[in-house]
Amino acid sequence: MDNIAVEVKDLVKIYPRVKAVDGISFTIKEGEVFGLLGPNGAGKTTTIRMMLTLIKPNAGSIRVFGINALADPARVRHLAGYVPQDVSVDGELTGWENMLMYAKLYDVPRQSREKLIKEALEYMGLSDRMNDMVNKYSGGMMRRLEIAQTLVNRPRILYLDEPSIGLDPNARRTIWEHIEKLRREFGTTILITTHDMNEADRLCNRIGIIDQGKLVIIGEPAQLKAEIGGDIVSIITPTADCTPKLKELGYSVISEPANGHVDLVMDNGEKQIPNLLDALHTSGVVVESVSLKKPTLDDVFLHFTGARIEQGDSFARARQTRRTFRRLS
Amino acid sequence: MKVGLWTYFRRTITLAEFEIRKLLHDQTQVWIRVIQPALWLLVFGEAFTKLKAIPTGDYTYLQFMTPGVLAQSVMFVAIFYGITVVWERDLGLLNKLLSTPTPRSAIVIGKALSAGVRGIVQAVAIFVLALIIQVHISFNPLHLLLVLVIVVLLGMFFACLSMCIAALVRTRERVMGIGQAITMPLFFASNAIYPTSILPTWLKALVTVNPLSYVIDALRSLLVTNDFSKLPLDILVIVFATALMVFLASWSFKRIIS
Repeated sequence: MDNIAVEVKDLVKIYPRVKAVDGISFTIKEGEVFGLLGPNGAGKTTTIRMMLTLIKPNAGSIRVFGINALADPARVRHLAGYVPQDVSVDGELTGWENMLMYAKLYDVPRQSREKLIKEALEYMGLSDRMNDMVNKYSGGMMRRLEIAQTLVNRPRILYLDEPSIGLDPNARRTIWEHIEKLRREFGTTILITTHDMNEADRLCNRIGIIDQGKLVIIGEPAQLKAEIGGDIVSIITPTADCTPKLKELGYSVISEPANGHVDLVMDNGEKQIPNLLDALHTSGVVVESVSLKKPTLDDVFLHFTGARIEQGDSFARARQTRRTFRRLS
Repeated sequence: MKVGLWTYFRRTITLAEFEIRKLLHDQTQVWIRVIQPALWLLVFGEAFTKLKAIPTGDYTYLQFMTPGVLAQSVMFVAIFYGITVVWERDLGLLNKLLSTPTPRSAIVIGKALSAGVRGIVQAVAIFVLALIIQVHISFNPLHLLLVLVIVVLLGMFFACLSMCIAALVRTRERVMGIGQAITMPLFFASNAIYPTSILPTWLKALVTVNPLSYVIDALRSLLVTNDFSKLPLDILVIVFATALMVFLASWSFKRIIS
C-alpha cells in the first residue's frame, strides 16, 4: 500500500517581490492524509495551486500518480478534486445546480450523473436542502456542498485548502468527521493545508511544517511531538530540598524550584506519575499537586521555526486581507 | 490529453447554461435592464420624431433609431460583464472553475455566450415595445433570426472586451469606471441615433472603425430598410471582431487570477 500518489521536487515559485515557495520537496503516499501546516502567507496555497496546475512553478517538478503535471495538466486535473479556501459554490444557483454543473464539467456520463449527485448530497447530509438557493446556506453547509461537488468526480487526490476556516466549532467537527469518512470509505488521498494545530493533529497521517516558503520538517504528528523531548510533569511541593532528592532518584529536573514548583521531563508521563509519587512519598517529600502536559503541535512549531503560529484568524478577516493584497498587487 | 471538439463544445454550453440559470433565478435584474432602452424609444424617440430635427429619409425617426437602441442596450449590459468575473475571482469560484479540466477559452466563450443570450432578452423586449408603440419594423422570421444571431455576437464581443479590461485592471471599480468611460463615446461615435452623413469628417472616421456601427447597420438593413448591399461586409466585420475579442479574452484570462 506504499504507492506514491504525489511527488513534489524542489518546487520554487517567485513573485515579483517575494519567494513564495522556496525549494519544497515531499511525497504523499496513496490513501494517506498529508497536511501542510504553517501560518498565513507561508506558501501553502501557492503550493496547492501549482499542484493543481493553476499556476506554473519557476523551477522543480510535480508528478501526480506518475503523470508529469507540468507537461500534461489536463490529465492531472481530471484526477483531482479541489476545495479552495474561499467560498467556491455559486450562491445564485441551487445546491443541486451547483452539483450538476461540476458533474458536467468533469464529464460524468449522463446515465450515472443523477445517481452520483444524489449519493454525494446524501453522503454530505444535504439532501433535504438541495433545491434551496445556496446563498441561504450556512457556512458549514457551503463547505459540505463544496466537498460533495468533488465527490461526483471520484477524485484520486483531493486538495482541501483550509477546510474548516471560518466555521463554528460544531460545523468544524462535522467537516472533520466527513473528511475522516472519505479516507476510510473511498481511500482518497488527501492533501490538507491548515494553520490549525488541532485540525492537523486530528486528521493527518503525516504533516509537513512550512514556514516562509520552506518545508522545515516532515513526520507523523506523534513522531514530531516526540522529537522535542518527552512530556512535562509539574509538581508543587512545600518540601524545600526536593530537587536534590529528585535528582538522586534519577529524574531530570528542567526548572529551578520557584514557590515549590518543579518541572520534570520524561517519556510516557501518565505511566510514570504513580511511580514518581511512590518514590517521593518514600523519601519524605510531600506533594500538593501534580500535572501533566503533553507537547502539542504548537510546541513542535515553536521548536522548529522559533515562532508561534498565529491563531484565530477569522474567515472574514482572511478574505479581507487577501482582497486588500490583490488590490495592492 | 487532447480535448475533443465535441467535449469542448459541451463544456462551453454547460458554462452558458448555468449562467442563464442564474438569470432565471433572479429575473428582476433582467427587467430593470429593459427600462433604459424603453426610455430611449418612448421619450427621446417620440420627441425627435415629432421635431423632425434629424433627417432620416424615407423612414420615421423612431424606425431609424430602434436598431440603434437595441444595439446600445445590448452593449450596455455586456460591457459590465467583467465585473461579474472579478467578483467570481474574489469569491474563489474562478479558481475552482480553472482547476476543472475545462480549457480557459471554453470558460471565456461559455460566459460570453451567456451575455449574448442575455442580449436576446433585450431584443425581444424591444420588439414587443416597437409593436406597442407601432414602429414599423420587419417581422420576417428569417430577418429576426439573423438579428438575434447578430445580437448574440454583439453581446459576446462586448462581454469579451469587458473580460479583457478585467484582466488588465483587476478590480470591480476600475472595470465599472472604464466601462462607463467607453460606452458613451462608442454610442455617439456610431450611426445609432443619427445618420453619419450629418457628422464632421473626423467623427466619420471614428464611426468607420467602431464595430458598433457595423452591427447597427446590419440590424437596420434587416429590420427597417431591406437594403442588403452592405450586409455581407457588416457580418464579416462583426464575426471577425468577435472572434478576435474571444481570442484576446481567452489569452488574457489567466491574468485575472494570478
